[in-house]
Amino acid sequence: MERIIIDGLSFSLPLFIMAIGGIYSEKSGITNLALEGLQGVGAFFGALVAVSIAGNFSGNSQVPYYVALLFAVIGGTLYSLLHALLCIRFKANQVISGVVINILASALTAFLTKYINRSVFGAASDKFVLGVSAKWTLPGLSQIPVLGAVFKDIYPFEIIIVVVAIIAWYVMYKTPYGMNLRACGDNPHAVDAAGVDVAKVRLIAVMVSGGLSGLAGISFAYSISANFSSSIYVGYGYLAIAALIFGNWTILPTLGSCLLFGFARSGGYFLVQKLQMPSSYSDLVMTLPYVVTLLLLIFFSKYNRSPRALGEIYDKGKR
Amino acid sequence: MSEYIIEMKHITKRFPGIVANQDVTLQIKKGEIFALLGENGAGKSTLMSMLFGMYEPDEGEIWIRGKKENITSPSYATKLNIGMVHQHFKLVSNYTITENIILGLENKDKKFGFLPWVDLKKADRKVAELSKQYGLEVNPTDVIEDINVSIQQRVEILKMLYREAEILIFDEPTAVLTPQEIEFLLKIIKGLRDGGKTIILITHKLEEIKQVADRCAILNRGRLIDVLDVATTSTKTMANKMVGREVSFQVEKKPANFRETVLEVKNLTVRNQDHFDVVKNVSFSIHGGEIFAIAGVSGNGQIEVADAIAGLAEAAEGQIILNGVDITHESIRKRTLQGISYIPEDRQSYGLVLDFTLEENLALKTYFKEPFSHHGVLNQSAFDEYGKELIDRYDIRSGQGIKTIVRSMSGGNQQKAIIGREIELKSPLMIFVQPTRGLDIGAIENIHRQIIQERDAGKAILLISLELDEIMDCADTIGVIYNGQIQKIADAKTLTTNQVGEFMMGVKADAEK
Amino acid sequence: MQKNNHTIKKGFVRLLGNERYQAVSIPLFAIVLSLLAGAVVIFALGKNPLVAYQNLLQGSGILPKATYAGHKSMLTDFMSFMNAWTPMLFASLAVAVALRAGLFNIGVSGQMLVAGFVTTLLVGYSDLPAPVAKPLVLICGIISGALVGALIGWMKEKFNINEVVSSIMINYIAQYVISFFINTYYVNPVSRQSNPVSKASRLTLMDTTVGDLKMDIPLGIVLAIIIAIAVKFLLDRTTFGYELKSVGTSRNAAKYAGIKVGRSMVMAFVVSGALAGLAGVTYYLGYFGSIQPKVLASTGFDSIAVSLLANSNPIGIIFSSFLITVISKGSTYMNSASGLESEIASVITGVILLFSACGAFIRYKVKSMKEELKESEERGNR
Repeated sequence: MERIIIDGLSFSLPLFIMAIGGIYSEKSGITNLALEGLQGVGAFFGALVAVSIAGNFSGNSQVPYYVALLFAVIGGTLYSLLHALLCIRFKANQVISGVVINILASALTAFLTKYINRSVFGAASDKFVLGVSAKWTLPGLSQIPVLGAVFKDIYPFEIIIVVVAIIAWYVMYKTPYGMNLRACGDNPHAVDAAGVDVAKVRLIAVMVSGGLSGLAGISFAYSISANFSSSIYVGYGYLAIAALIFGNWTILPTLGSCLLFGFARSGGYFLVQKLQMPSSYSDLVMTLPYVVTLLLLIFFSKYNRSPRALGEIYDKGKR
Repeated sequence: MSEYIIEMKHITKRFPGIVANQDVTLQIKKGEIFALLGENGAGKSTLMSMLFGMYEPDEGEIWIRGKKENITSPSYATKLNIGMVHQHFKLVSNYTITENIILGLENKDKKFGFLPWVDLKKADRKVAELSKQYGLEVNPTDVIEDINVSIQQRVEILKMLYREAEILIFDEPTAVLTPQEIEFLLKIIKGLRDGGKTIILITHKLEEIKQVADRCAILNRGRLIDVLDVATTSTKTMANKMVGREVSFQVEKKPANFRETVLEVKNLTVRNQDHFDVVKNVSFSIHGGEIFAIAGVSGNGQIEVADAIAGLAEAAEGQIILNGVDITHESIRKRTLQGISYIPEDRQSYGLVLDFTLEENLALKTYFKEPFSHHGVLNQSAFDEYGKELIDRYDIRSGQGIKTIVRSMSGGNQQKAIIGREIELKSPLMIFVQPTRGLDIGAIENIHRQIIQERDAGKAILLISLELDEIMDCADTIGVIYNGQIQKIADAKTLTTNQVGEFMMGVKADAEK
Repeated sequence: MQKNNHTIKKGFVRLLGNERYQAVSIPLFAIVLSLLAGAVVIFALGKNPLVAYQNLLQGSGILPKATYAGHKSMLTDFMSFMNAWTPMLFASLAVAVALRAGLFNIGVSGQMLVAGFVTTLLVGYSDLPAPVAKPLVLICGIISGALVGALIGWMKEKFNINEVVSSIMINYIAQYVISFFINTYYVNPVSRQSNPVSKASRLTLMDTTVGDLKMDIPLGIVLAIIIAIAVKFLLDRTTFGYELKSVGTSRNAAKYAGIKVGRSMVMAFVVSGALAGLAGVTYYLGYFGSIQPKVLASTGFDSIAVSLLANSNPIGIIFSSFLITVISKGSTYMNSASGLESEIASVITGVILLFSACGAFIRYKVKSMKEELKESEERGNR
């Protein structure tokens, strides 16, 4: 039971922060299927910096880890500029742009990882080895039966994510910027007429989605796979999108759906181990989040209202 | 300081393919109501959009309060105390009235001295105060999608006043209002002027100008024709200058000759996506040779009535009977084949596939029939021939004939194509929704003539319009809809414009009950 | 400067301004731009881009290599190129049909995998003779692919589920479930892949001796080209195609015209899935002969680039799929000949994709340049 909660949370939270990024972008009116690619490029960037500086620190040092988080955010943000450029400046089809960016991301990072490994580190490898980050346990609270597991074996990134999520929530619903952002997704013309630069609001929103996705990507890299390779592209970005669709583009309900995915996954693994099934059964467990997603979509898609101006190309001149 | 608060000097603005304004010079005095009169496409809105910073002029200068200004954005215009109520309201539908009013101007409060946040409670109070001060009553916490258009318009006006606008531009503000609401609005506008504001009123309705305006500029095809003193000029003169020729105000119409009943709608109820009844228990019938018009304020269920008859919306309850056959549950295609022609309100997103060629659009409802299609294979030459034929018959003008992409055609010609296509279906029932919206007077006259011609040929016509004048001119029978319910059905000759207006607001029916 | 700018614009307009040729000229522009970008990268990596691109063509059997192993020649290389080209062509047609209806089939890879796996089980592992087995493989591929497509279309129509999300989910579910079955029941202990299919069912005649050469003859390529022409006919010359196009361009107007929009979308996905199924069987029972667990064919994603590049025109797709296959197929030889990571190929494909996505913008830009020029000319004449 404890394991289910611990593993479930460490999967749900990165998914959640990525979904928040998606909400930022989509609430501002920009469809963002590019989350998958953004988290990949972010993770690549973070991992690259981490392995580059790792030699300067002792083996136990956690400094590279935090530097990696920072650079993953920067990397994701920079790469998201491409999506912003295509969608806002070039007025490309936003769905196509998102998919293109994902395909390009996996091609670019696979190539660069291999190339850099060979030419810089002199190793023929298609991954950057990161290791798993340290974990913390809160002494008092973790003793509580069952729920105590929430405070046990916490990855540092989980705490960072929770803090960032609270800030993101506050900005979205309580500040002038958040108000403009949500208005852009409903009626950009109104925002324009009110003297606010729609393109700028959207640009920032897309960049936020890039940064948060990068944070999510590097978190996955440090927890699930312990390295960076193209295995980072397994559709978590699309899961995050599904999560925000159930969450009806609002932050708190989205947390709920992310938790559901996480626990479905960790619960399944737990079952495979408990029943001592052969390891190939873990393949079946891997499908759980996706199957849950499809089922939830079937039940909830009809009732959901996407932002009114989502995916529409905003042309100032058009009335 | 100059005598004029606004001077637009030799303004020229071009868009790809057209010159929207050519060498227009206007001078507007502080504290007057200045009207801009012209047909659709005369360049009124473009001219004012430049004053409001939505576009920049290609040539010419704008002077505000005696100082030359480059108005590059709406926010700069706002800084110059210029405000504008657009024809299509610029409101965020899921925000409250207050949120809409303060959008872009949120107070710079800091929670705990450092966290930026929006103090909505405080803003609500300020909006309430403002609304009381100007007699524009609203409830600040109402959400836009739940309030009707006339309240939405008040929100737009409050938005300008909140921004301390001194120069107020109204773009066709009365187009969507009932006569009573119009009267109220004009009173508000006069009040604002008396309070020292400068008002610019864009309109094509002469009576309104006569009622409130001090001076009036007339535009035609992007050029300034004249600036007139309203008090000393007759409406007839203004009209002739606006159109550039003599106009007849009356639609010529022979007395109606009713035949058998073509359409019967019985207890129709339509639900929207949110499971809310938008049409409630509506019943009426239309005879061959009759123009039945539904009058009502926008958003009161009239579009849904048309959609339900044509099959685009589902009838939750009730029956629709066409020539004695119950079609309530038939597909759209079946209904078309059984005799319904439909000219929809939104010609660009419903009536036409904008990125198709003209000939493809002309066959949009017949492409699957012989001779256009034989065993599922299209016959290109049939498309060509039919397209050419209709272009001639309905005088549809376009750049490259039948191969023109419809998106590049003018609104008037797009509408001609739709009307031509629908008349050619030779259906016993024709539904016209807002058939003349956004068209110039020549085109409007032409369409009205066609509608009456079809009536005289024995068709049953359902005409739905927000323009009360159009309804009064064309209808044989008028049904007034309010809040999804038919308030009154009567012979058009027995109703006055004001009576219809009262029914449109639901006032009269309540009194009668 | 002003003058200079003017000349550049004039050049652009002359190059891309003719609307009749834009369907060809703009994709070509995107390709040239991408190849230039790729060349810059390759140059920065210290290699000669011209040699690298030459390697791509050599690896695809379009240019002769310096030396060949026994029983090999340019022709055998070209044959094996066509072996890889076949599934790419089918997959791209699948994407194109969906795009015409305004739908984005990003699940081609998953549909290919399902079709390949189902057909492998039903026909590939049977001992049916070739004349029965080969047609059966095609039919089986078509049906299983169409069923997956139908599922996606049905979920879109019935439950309003975004097809991109649902097809990605199905991709992963198919990938893991099939991997589970292969690892549990059909795994070949040596190759770690599924057991190879029977020779009779295979759509490529492997290692066939022709003269003194030994080559793989892909039977599917002939079919693929015929199908491309058939799809062109279907889209442009039939009521079905007219309806798809209406639905894809304006859903509201299509509904208004009496077209059953939901049914059209489902049908588009059925046809798209069927084509993906053909891609799947020519890939797994033609090109490869077995299935690698937990891997989705990159063909399914590259096909998006192919289709966008050709603006979903089936005839254009014959050419663009050729090009993209040259890049991906030739990259192995480029890797061995010039030591460049073969992954650079997918980067170039990605960049082509990127520029193709901007096609509409380029078109719009050229148009406004044209008008600007026209105006300034008119003013000059005055």
